[in-house]
Amino acid sequence: MSEICVEIAGLKKSFGPLEVLKNIDLTVNRGDVVCIIGPSGSGKSTLLRCVNLLEEPNGGKIVVNDTELTDPDVDIDRARTKIGMVFQSFNLFSHLTVLNNLTVAQRKVLKRGEKEAQEIGLRNLERVGLKEKANAMPAQLSGGQQQRAAIARALSMNPEVMLFDEPTSALDPELVGDVLGVMRQLADEGMTMLVVTHEMQFAREVADKVIFMDGGYIVEEGPAAEVIGNPQEERTREFLARVLDPTHHGPSDPV
Amino acid sequence: MALSKRKRATYFRYAQYGLLVLIALVVAFTGNWSEIAHTFFDLKTVGQMFPDLVTVALKNTIIYTILGFAFGLALGLLLALMKLSSVAPYRWIATTYIEFFRGVPALLVFLAFTVAVPLAFEIKFDIYSTAMLALGLVGAAYMAETIRAGIQAVPKGQVEAARSLGMSRGRAMVTIVIPQAFRIILPPLTNELIMLTKDSSLIYIVGVTREQYELTKFGREFLSRSPTLTPILVIGLSYLVITLPLGYLSRYLERRSGGKKVSVV
Ligand SMILES: Nc1ncnc2c1ncn2[C@@H]1O[C@H](COP(=O)(O)OP(=O)(O)OP(=O)(O)O)[C@@H](O)[C@H]1O
Ligand SMILES: [Mg+2]
Repeated sequence: MSEICVEIAGLKKSFGPLEVLKNIDLTVNRGDVVCIIGPSGSGKSTLLRCVNLLEEPNGGKIVVNDTELTDPDVDIDRARTKIGMVFQSFNLFSHLTVLNNLTVAQRKVLKRGEKEAQEIGLRNLERVGLKEKANAMPAQLSGGQQQRAAIARALSMNPEVMLFDEPTSALDPELVGDVLGVMRQLADEGMTMLVVTHEMQFAREVADKVIFMDGGYIVEEGPAAEVIGNPQEERTREFLARVLDPTHHGPSDPV
Repeated sequence: MALSKRKRATYFRYAQYGLLVLIALVVAFTGNWSEIAHTFFDLKTVGQMFPDLVTVALKNTIIYTILGFAFGLALGLLLALMKLSSVAPYRWIATTYIEFFRGVPALLVFLAFTVAVPLAFEIKFDIYSTAMLALGLVGAAYMAETIRAGIQAVPKGQVEAARSLGMSRGRAMVTIVIPQAFRIILPPLTNELIMLTKDSSLIYIVGVTREQYELTKFGREFLSRSPTLTPILVIGLSYLVITLPLGYLSRYLERRSGGKKVSVV
């Protein structure tokens, strides 16, 4: 297995006349945490969704876990089992209990037995601190609990890489910490992660690399301390000023 | 003179009540009540109608309805999936079917099954197959639209989550979307069942034997022999025994799912 987990070259994606991703090159090494930041509409979600082909690219090449997803003959369902995805709106299956949310794909896709799937599911629920909620319905959980269950659901497939699309944006502020805690723990365990986020503190502390996107391009990338702490591009500086201190934009508040 | 809005509403309400009282009085004074009681509530006739009313007529109505509903549901699901298909000819076939069977009277479909189909295909269906096919073909057209709406009401994120876990399109449809769609459409489907219960009365047209009578045919048979009109009342009440609980169930399910829909993320 190679050092490189995700390799994107010359990626282009349009929705009709709207060019959302113009020419993206990105490499994610195994075990690395890459945070993607950028203004609304810059194409962050689209980029992430291209990595498991929820969006079909219009050009370029995407290789994940040594499988080229842009190859027309690829078995995409099989490739996706190795790519975990966590959505802003959780998307737990609302008609299934929490545990069945974690076992349904294990059984139907990976063909694991009921008992094995449940064991793996319970182990992952324990990892995110939700073992006692195994038999609850998703609607009975708080947003933070739902998101942790969604993370556990993705982990139950034993993915090689996890994609997070603003996993804490839909949460009440006091619930954000629990979810970030679980993600931090995952990073410490060596999971390869691609995270779209507005949580700059998290990006600073956990990310090996931070990417700033704007207008369909990667404008700046590098270690978190550099991109967030000492941005080189004007657009990055403007964006960070707005995100880190939404009320005053002045240079009187150094980042 | 300007009345306040609330005053006007109050007077309007009084006028409505007054009208209702008036209608009730007219009915009470003009109706021949002893005649009505004799005609519609003749206990002797009621007695004669039992036990066949339950063991034959009610039973058959329920059997025909359930057969038609089951077949209609399966066909309706297929049509709904065709209508949502990316394959254009499937969509055309489904649309044509739905428009056709919603547009013609159910009675005509039953007639076709007695005359046209046996003639064209040289097969004769027994009574159960006829009920199942004729009621089902009509019911499917209505249920297809209901099921399609239900499938489309399932949030897109559910499919995306399923696909991102490696499920194929078909697998996601079967294990995630359809179960959720059916929770959403349970109330309108219950209404379909009520409609089919009433439509099952059309089966008489294919020609039925005494053991195959459903409620309406059974009642008409009695009516032709009975000096009173009591069978009409009895049969009407028998239908209500089926449809009222279904209607109640439908409203209950609607309230329940209404409470749920709000919390869907
Ligand atoms: N399915 C779609 N059809 C048409 N346009 C789309 C679609 N998905 C995204 N877009 C458009 O593409 C652009 C980029 O969207 P994207 O969701 O990738 O942005 P983002 O960086 O994730 O923004 P945000 O921070 O608001 O989530 C936006 O202008 C959006 O309106
Ligand atoms: Mg987004």
